[in-house]
Amino acid sequence: MSSFFRLILLSVWSAPLLLAGTTPPAKPISPPTPQVTDQSFVRIIATNQNYEFLRPWVKRPPYSRRGLGTVLAGGKILVTAELVLRNTYLELEQIGTGEKCPAEIEVIDYQANLALLKPAREDFLKTHVPLEVDHGARVGDRAEIVQLEANGSIAMTAATLSTITVSPYPIDEMSLLIFRLSSPLQQRDGSFVLPAVRNGRLLGLLMRYDARSQTAELIPPEIISHFLKDAATGHYSGFPRVGISFASLRDPQLRRYLGLKDPGGVFVDGVAPDSPAAKAGIQSGDVVLSAKGQAIDSDGNYDHPLYGRLPFSHLMTTESASGEAIPLQIWRKGQLQTLKVTAEPRDPAQMKVPSILFNKPPKYLVSGGLVFQELSRPYLMEWGADWRNTAPQRLVYYDAFQDELPTDRAKIVFLSRVLPSPSVLGYEPLEHLVIRSVNGKPINRLEDVAEALKQPVGGFHKIETEEDPGVIYLDPKAAESEAESVKTQYGIPALQNF
Amino acid sequence: MQRLWIVIWLACLAAPVSAIAAPGKIAASVVRIEAATQDPNYRVPWSPGRMSGGVGAGFIIEGKRIMTNAHVVSNARFLTVSKQGDPKPYPARVLHVAHDSDLAILEIEDPQFFHNTQPLSFGGIPEIESTVSVFGFPIGGDRLSVTRGIVSRVDFQPYSHSGMDSHLAIQIDAAINPGNSGGPVMQDGKVVGVAFQGYSGDVAQNVGYMIPTPVVNRFLADVKDGTYDHYMDLALSYFPLFNPAARRALGLPDDNNGVWVGDVYGGGSSSGRVQRGDVLLAIDGNAIASDGSVELPEGTVEMAEIVERKLKGDKVELQILRDGKKLAVTVPLNERWPFELQANAYDVAPRFLTFGGLIFQPVDKNFMTEHNPSDLRLRYIFDHLITDHLYSERPEIITLSGILPDPINSYASDFIYSVVDKINDQKIRRLEDVEKALAEPAEFYVIHLLGEGRPIVLERKEVEKARERIRQRYGVTRESNLNS
Repeated sequence: MSSFFRLILLSVWSAPLLLAGTTPPAKPISPPTPQVTDQSFVRIIATNQNYEFLRPWVKRPPYSRRGLGTVLAGGKILVTAELVLRNTYLELEQIGTGEKCPAEIEVIDYQANLALLKPAREDFLKTHVPLEVDHGARVGDRAEIVQLEANGSIAMTAATLSTITVSPYPIDEMSLLIFRLSSPLQQRDGSFVLPAVRNGRLLGLLMRYDARSQTAELIPPEIISHFLKDAATGHYSGFPRVGISFASLRDPQLRRYLGLKDPGGVFVDGVAPDSPAAKAGIQSGDVVLSAKGQAIDSDGNYDHPLYGRLPFSHLMTTESASGEAIPLQIWRKGQLQTLKVTAEPRDPAQMKVPSILFNKPPKYLVSGGLVFQELSRPYLMEWGADWRNTAPQRLVYYDAFQDELPTDRAKIVFLSRVLPSPSVLGYEPLEHLVIRSVNGKPINRLEDVAEALKQPVGGFHKIETEEDPGVIYLDPKAAESEAESVKTQYGIPALQNF
Repeated sequence: MQRLWIVIWLACLAAPVSAIAAPGKIAASVVRIEAATQDPNYRVPWSPGRMSGGVGAGFIIEGKRIMTNAHVVSNARFLTVSKQGDPKPYPARVLHVAHDSDLAILEIEDPQFFHNTQPLSFGGIPEIESTVSVFGFPIGGDRLSVTRGIVSRVDFQPYSHSGMDSHLAIQIDAAINPGNSGGPVMQDGKVVGVAFQGYSGDVAQNVGYMIPTPVVNRFLADVKDGTYDHYMDLALSYFPLFNPAARRALGLPDDNNGVWVGDVYGGGSSSGRVQRGDVLLAIDGNAIASDGSVELPEGTVEMAEIVERKLKGDKVELQILRDGKKLAVTVPLNERWPFELQANAYDVAPRFLTFGGLIFQPVDKNFMTEHNPSDLRLRYIFDHLITDHLYSERPEIITLSGILPDPINSYASDFIYSVVDKINDQKIRRLEDVEKALAEPAEFYVIHLLGEGRPIVLERKEVEKARERIRQRYGVTRESNLNS
């Protein structure tokens, strides 16, 4: 589903649509709500920069994205996290006057795709009218999507709320509530993030739009409110998750095998290690009958008072705060029991193979010409959209099945490549080898390699790999004496970054 | 790499065999082989398979036999051979086939066929840049064709027929096209090779390959006792030892001698005799250079070439450095490469078992080629079976390869291409284990799949009720095949 929707970038707009400024904008079906004016928005110009994970000491050329930020109470501006992904410089622009001001990211949540910005000058937003977050919208309700014309005037396009569901978000694939709107949007100036308003309040932020089906996906008020409430505490924790995967229990043979008499319930088919569910003692094979007092059907849905059938994960991610105890009713081997799960967010940086690494440069270590790195999803994504098929398969496998690794394996350290130099003569073809040990010491994170390289054994470094050739020997003195020349020859600013 | 290869077999040529004699003694010994083949269907494993056919070449060798390529006669149901000047197609049968080196020997019952023919004899390895002639029945006409070219190089090459073997091959620049397969490549009246593969024209021009006589002679020697025993293999991986630090760490002088053993595979000839970390210094008295090559009187070859030339039951003498000490190790060559399931297989029917509309199959190269499953876990296990020694736990990888939809299995479709780990707590290591587990009486059959918490549950009484229904509806003529 997610691949079907695209970011609202110039390239995805079909050609026949003319740019605003050359033709008059489409006439809105309903008049703009009077109380929403350009005074509730600012233009955002974000300059972002990627790291090159295959040469982790290199930064890619900067690129810019323009979007529309929504002014909220307290002098904060709300945008999607995607707009400011890997941000290096951020600028705000007043819509009427064009006056500019640098800004910084105060809080960012990659999973919920939201970021809160703060202008460098306190008075920059003093004439602005903050928007409140909407609540209570239902399927069929009308809303307007806000855009800017090139001349700075505001354009509103009518939209209808068509679907409310739980679906993966774009950055970290966490499934959260989304609103789907149908709306005939046109390409206009700086349309990377577009706010949607209803009755003069902020209904949500557009994160994807498919021009063919004229469908927009919106981050809904529940997600924004959860984010803002969490941000207001001063120490943001994020959306909690329980850490189970489940399978449908519609199969009558499976139900009879489990001895389930009552309808409903889902089969727990996986519990993530160290997750709140694992800590609460939930096991694979348990049947979850209810969560927070809400009965769960055999497909994993519960009855939301406003939205109808919704996946019960919504109860635990969005309708729970971090640290909250969530009661789950469990059927295990013919016994009913209630387990309390303490909801906690998952920090992607704590994953064995981190799914996102936007806020810091990649870790690496160069010794002799050997380049060591920690495996991460962004590294694999260097192989392009089809990385699951084209990236080195052993590494893809480590990413996909990291939950099955032993718990003491904190990270996957691997020899990513060899920079040809005298001390690594003969090792040039080696790449993507997962490291088992260095100088007899087990390797669970990159720092372990640096530590182990301090103590050669018998005058040599002995690096053991999981795959062939199994062992790589290195001369510690030669590697050390070459350090400077490797740095200069290959243009590496520092031989390590932790 | 493999994709670039085309097997030069002319498929489905419907034109009648021409029977006009070409002049010359050689032409009289070159034959045209027509094969009616039936390829197994790995998606519908009980189906007898699709009929097809093709044309290839062959030549008469001593003992009233015909030599051709294995790929010309693979999966053949009926073979006919015809020769110049005799309009009659003679039925033939395969006497010996070597899929690993793409060679086969045919015999013809009717002695009349060999009337007025001379067997061709074999020469040696032709000189680089010397001229050779290729005989065969390639695309572009019906009569015998002869093309001429020079020998471009002699090297180890992958043999695309099995997709897993590499042997010595000779590259020539004569046009070799579909239909040339199995034909003799001649020099000075002797066979110096058997034409067998080339590159497709959009990849490279004038690159054709022939099987050289050392490979042919090995095949002839192997079948002398009436059976083909296959190439033997050391079943280990080795790596160059160029790095000065590595050489010093292993106590080796800087003399450009020795390779490092990366891995030794269970069930292979070297298993229990050679270890990871050993340094191989010499093979049969020939010093092994640090890139794995050995010097023979005829030139520099890969050390594997020494093993290549041996037959089952022969021995290899290795000189090894282990923990700083030199050892002499004798490796009896009694085992082939132990992981045949990674090679293309021919003349076999797919193994399978159906139960409650679920189809279970062992995963091998043929299966992967036909199903091309995207399931990451299955692909990983298949690809890393050897390198990660997964074979010791799963000599056969059993997967749920398909479902014949029925009310009793309508919730199992999410699990296609999952690897079957256990059935009713019995570990599944091969297809026979599936048969055994499902034959035992039980109220429920609980099928656990690798990496899936939710099992597939089938009730015995429901399966029994559905059995005839599924057989009828889907035309399942056979519920299992456990023969290999």
